[in-house]
Amino acid sequence: MMPAIYLEAIVLTLGVLLVLMEAFSNSEEKTPVAWLGIVGLTFVFILTFFTANDLSASPYSAFYHADFRAIFFKRFALLTTIVVLVLSIEYRGVVQKYVFGSRPQAGLGEFYALPVFTCAGLMWMASAVDFIMIFVSLELVTISFYILVAYMRRNAGSLEAGVKYLILSALSTGFFVYGITWIYGVTGQTSLEKIGAILLGLKVSHGPLLFGFMLVLTGLGFKIACAPFQIWVPDVYQGAPTPVTAFLSVGSKAAGFIVLMRVAEVFLPVPWINHKAVTILVALAALSLLYGNLAAMPQHNLKRLMAYSSIAHAGYILIAVACIGSRYANIAVSFYLAGYLLMTLLTFLVMAAVANQAGGDDIVHFNGLGKRSPYLAFAMLAAMASLAGIPLTVGFFGKFLIFYVAYEKGQFLLMGIGVLTVAAGFYYYFKVVRAMYWKEPADDTPVRTSPLTGATIAALAFCIFFLGVYPAPVIRALEGPPSDNPRLLAR
Amino acid sequence: MLNILILCPIVAAILALLGAPARPAALLASLINLVVALLALFQYDKTGPAFQFVSEFGILPEWRLTYLVGADGLSLLMLLLTAIVTFAAVWVTPAVARLEKQFYACLLFISAGAMGAFASVDLFFFYAFHELALIPTFLLIGIWGSGDRQSAAWKITIYLALGSFILLLGLIGLYQSVPVAARTFDIRALQELAAAGKIHPASANGVYLLLLIGFGILISLFPFHTWAPKAYASAPTPAAMLHAGVLKKFGLYGLLRVALPLLPDAARHWTHLLIILLIGNIIYIGLVTISQKRLDMMLGYSSVMHMGYIFLGIASLNTLGLNGAALLMFAHGLSIAALFAIAGQVGRRTETLAFEDLGGLAKPMPFLGFAFGLAAFASIGLPGFANFASEILVFFGAFQSHVAGSPFFGFRLATVLALWGVVISAVYMLRAYKAVFMGELPGRWSALPDLKFSLRLPIVLLLATLLFAGFCPRVFLAFLAPSVKAASFRETLS
Amino acid sequence: MNLNDYLAVSGLLFAIGFAGVMLRRNIIIIFMCLELMLNAANLSLVAFSRFHVSAAGLPDYNGQMLVFFIITVAAAEVAVGLAVIVSLYRARRTTHVEDITSMKF
Repeated sequence: MMPAIYLEAIVLTLGVLLVLMEAFSNSEEKTPVAWLGIVGLTFVFILTFFTANDLSASPYSAFYHADFRAIFFKRFALLTTIVVLVLSIEYRGVVQKYVFGSRPQAGLGEFYALPVFTCAGLMWMASAVDFIMIFVSLELVTISFYILVAYMRRNAGSLEAGVKYLILSALSTGFFVYGITWIYGVTGQTSLEKIGAILLGLKVSHGPLLFGFMLVLTGLGFKIACAPFQIWVPDVYQGAPTPVTAFLSVGSKAAGFIVLMRVAEVFLPVPWINHKAVTILVALAALSLLYGNLAAMPQHNLKRLMAYSSIAHAGYILIAVACIGSRYANIAVSFYLAGYLLMTLLTFLVMAAVANQAGGDDIVHFNGLGKRSPYLAFAMLAAMASLAGIPLTVGFFGKFLIFYVAYEKGQFLLMGIGVLTVAAGFYYYFKVVRAMYWKEPADDTPVRTSPLTGATIAALAFCIFFLGVYPAPVIRALEGPPSDNPRLLAR
Repeated sequence: MLNILILCPIVAAILALLGAPARPAALLASLINLVVALLALFQYDKTGPAFQFVSEFGILPEWRLTYLVGADGLSLLMLLLTAIVTFAAVWVTPAVARLEKQFYACLLFISAGAMGAFASVDLFFFYAFHELALIPTFLLIGIWGSGDRQSAAWKITIYLALGSFILLLGLIGLYQSVPVAARTFDIRALQELAAAGKIHPASANGVYLLLLIGFGILISLFPFHTWAPKAYASAPTPAAMLHAGVLKKFGLYGLLRVALPLLPDAARHWTHLLIILLIGNIIYIGLVTISQKRLDMMLGYSSVMHMGYIFLGIASLNTLGLNGAALLMFAHGLSIAALFAIAGQVGRRTETLAFEDLGGLAKPMPFLGFAFGLAAFASIGLPGFANFASEILVFFGAFQSHVAGSPFFGFRLATVLALWGVVISAVYMLRAYKAVFMGELPGRWSALPDLKFSLRLPIVLLLATLLFAGFCPRVFLAFLAPSVKAASFRETLS
Repeated sequence: MNLNDYLAVSGLLFAIGFAGVMLRRNIIIIFMCLELMLNAANLSLVAFSRFHVSAAGLPDYNGQMLVFFIITVAAAEVAVGLAVIVSLYRARRTTHVEDITSMKF
C-alpha cells in the first residue's frame, strides 16, 4: 500500500517526460507521445487500486485527504484523460490543419502532453481539503485548459473560444479567491476541517462569512457551468477542439463539483447558513435545469447541444448538492458524474469519428448513421439513451439516485422541474437518434475508426449498460466494502 | 425458467443484430417463449406459495435491491399474454423493406421488456424493464411507421418518458415510506410490511396519486390518453399489437401488483377521482371513437376506451371486480392484438383505412371478414368471449362496491354509465364492420387475395384463446383468485 | 490604520476590477481588470494576516502563503492569457470584444 500522494507525483513526472520526449525526439511522428501518455496513465490507474485509503496519520493530512471519494475521483480523472488522449489521436488531423509548423506534426506533441498536467491538477483537487490547495490545483487545471481551448491558433472559432474561456474563467477565479479571502478573514483558517469546527461554534448569522461563501459559490458556479454562470459554455464548447470540449465538459465539471461538495459539506451543516445556501442551490439547480434543457431543444450543432446538455446535467447534480445532509447525496453526485463521464466521452468519441469523415459536427451529419455504420450508431444510441435517462443505463441510475435524495429531503419543486425537464431532454437527445435511424444518409460510405477508438467506444458502451444494471462497483468504490461501513452494519 | 422468458428475446435480438437471419431467429425465440410460458402455467402449484419460479441475484444488498424474478397467477397470465401476442406479432410481420435486422430486434426488445416487467418481483427492475421498450417503440414508429409517424413517435416517447418519471417518483416515495431499517425493493416484503401497517400513512395518499398519474399516463387514462390513438395508427402492425396488447397492460398490472395491495387506504381515498377519470375514458373517449373516420384510429381510440372498464374493476377494490379487471386485461390484450393484426392486413391490401373508401371487403376476403367480426364481437363483450366473462365480473364487482360515507352512489352511477359504454362500443365496432366489410365493393378490389393459410394461424391462435377463456373463465380465475386474494385487500363490502 | 481601511481599499479595487470587466470593450483592459481583482484579494489577505496576531505576537502566515500562490498563479495566467490574446490579434486584427462574435445561439 503506497500513499496516494505518489499518484500525482507519478502523473506529473509522466507529463514532464512527455514534454521532454516531444522536445528532444528527432522523430516526426508525434503519436508515440500520446501512446506513452495512455500507457502511463493506465499504469497509474492500476496503481490506484493499491493505494492506502486512509492518510489520517500522514504529515499531509491537514490539506490532503485520500478518502474513498478522493481515490474515486482520481480514477475518474485518469480515465477521462486516457479517453481524451484516445480522442486526440483520432482528432489529430484537424489540429494539424490549424496549427502552423515547419514540420507536418509540429505542435501535436504538446497537445498530447498538456492533458496529463490537467489530469494531475484534477487528481490533486480530488484530495485537496485546504483552500490554498484547492486554489492551486484549480488553477493548474484552468490554465492548462486556457492553452488547450485556444490550441488551434489558425482557427478563428478555437481562438474566440479561448479568449472567452480565458476572461470568464479568470473572472470566476477572482470571485473564488476573494471569497476565500473573506472566509479566511473571519475564521483565520484555510483548512476546511478547521473552518468547519469554527463555523459550528458561530451561533448567529455572520455577514462577511456569508459574503465569502456566496463568492466561493459564484466562482464554483462558473466551473460547474450552472445557470446563471453558464454564458461561456456554448461558445467555448463549440469552438474548442473536440477532445478539449470533452475534457472540459467532464473534467472541469467534475473538479468543480468535488470542490463544491467539500465546501458544502463544511458550510451546510451550520444552521444559519444552511437555510440560505439551500435556497440558493435550489434556485441555481432550477435555473440550470430549465435553461439547459430548453435552450438545448432548438440546437442543430451537436457540440453546442452537448454544451446545453452539460448545463442541464449540472442542474441535476445540483439537486443532489442541495440535498447534502441526506445520506446518499454524496453518492448521488459522484455516481451521476461517473455516469456523465461515460456517456459524454462516448458521445464525443463517436462525434469525432463521424466529424472526421463528414466534415462537421452538426446533427445532420449523423443522418443515416444506422445504415452506414451500425456499430457506431448503436454506441451513440447507448450514449443518448443514457444521457436521456433510460433505465438499465448508467444515466438512469444516476437520475434515480438524484430523485431519491431529492424525495428524501422533500425538494418537491426541484423534483417537479426535474421530471418535466427529463421529458424535454428526451426530445433533443432523441433528435440525434432520429437523425441516425430515420433519415437517409447523404452517402453510403461507412465511417472508419482506428482500432483503438473502436475498442474505447466498445468499452465505454459496455460500461454504460453494465453499471446501469449492476451499479455496485461504483457504489463500493465510493463507500468502501459494506463491512467497512458502520452505518450499513447497523441495519 | 422466467429468466429464459426474458433472456431468450434479448439473445435473439442481439444475434439478429449481429447478422443471424432475423425472422427465423425472432420466430424461434417467440415460439420458445410461448412454450416456456405454457409450461410455467402448467407447473405452477396453486396450493404453494404465491410467488414461484423465484430466482434472484443481489445488486445492492444494503439497499435490498435485487434482480428478483418470480411469478404468481396474475403475472403468469400476463406472461402468457405477452408470449402469445409476441408470437402472433412476429408471425404476421410482413417482409420488411429496410433495416430488417433492427426491426425484429426492436420487436424482441419490447417483448423482453414486457416479460421482464411482468416477471419482476423487485420494484426497481419491474420499472426498469418496462422502459426497455421506450427506444424500440420510438424507432419502430419513426422508421417503419405510416402516416404522421414523426409527430406520433415524438408524442408517444415524450409522454411515456414523462409518465415513467412521475411513476419513478411514486416508486421512490413508496420505497421511502417505510422505516429506514425495513426499506426494500422486494414486492413480497413490501406486501408484508403493508399488511403489518408499517407503511407511513401520511405519505400514502401523495405516493398513490403519483403512482396513479404515472401508471395512468402509461395506460392512457383520460385525460392523459392523447398519445395512444395516434401512435397506434402510425405504428407498424406488430408494434401496435405489442404495445396496445401487452405494454399498456404494464400500468394496470402495476396498479394491481403495487399500488393497490401496498396502499389500500390511499386507493380508497382517491376512488372518486379515479371514477370520474374512468367515466371520461368510457363515455368521452367512446363518443370520440364513434366519430373516427379511419379504422386504425378507431381501434386506437377503442383500446383507450376499454381501459376504462379495467379501471372500473380496479376502482371497485373487491375480489369480484379485481378478478374481472385482471381477466379483462388478458382478454383485451388478445382481442386488440387480433384487431390490429387484421386491420394491418386490410391496410396492406387496400393501402387505405379510411371508412369512406372501404366497403364490401368480406366478399373477396371472407376469412378476414369473419375473423374481424369475431374479434369485434369479443371487443364489444358478447357472450362466449373472455371479454364478456370479465366485464360481467367487473360490473358486478363495481355495482356492489361503494365508498364509505360517500354522498352519492358513485359506483352505481359509474356502473350504469359503463354499461352504456358497451352500447357505444357496439355502435362503433359494428359501424366499422359495416363500413369495411359490408356494402358495395369498389371494383378495383374485387380480386384482393384473402389471408394466406399460414398467416391465419396467429389470428386463429388469438381468437381461440379468447373463446377458450370465454367458455372456461374458471380455468384462468383459478390462477388469478389466489394472487388477487393474497394481495390482502380489506374488503369494502359491507 | 485599522483593518477596515484596508478592506475598504481592497473592496474598492475589486469593484473597480469587476466593473472594468463588465464595461470595457478592449480585451487587454479587461485582462488588466481581472488582475486587479486578484490583487484586491491579495491586499485583503495580507491585511487579514497582519491583524490575526497569534499568542506569540506573530501574524498568521497562512494568508500570506496564499498571497504568494496567487501572485504565482496570476503570473502564469498572464503569460498564457496574453499569448492567447496575441494570437487572436494576429488572426483577427482586433482586440475588441464586439468583433469576436462568430458563434451565435
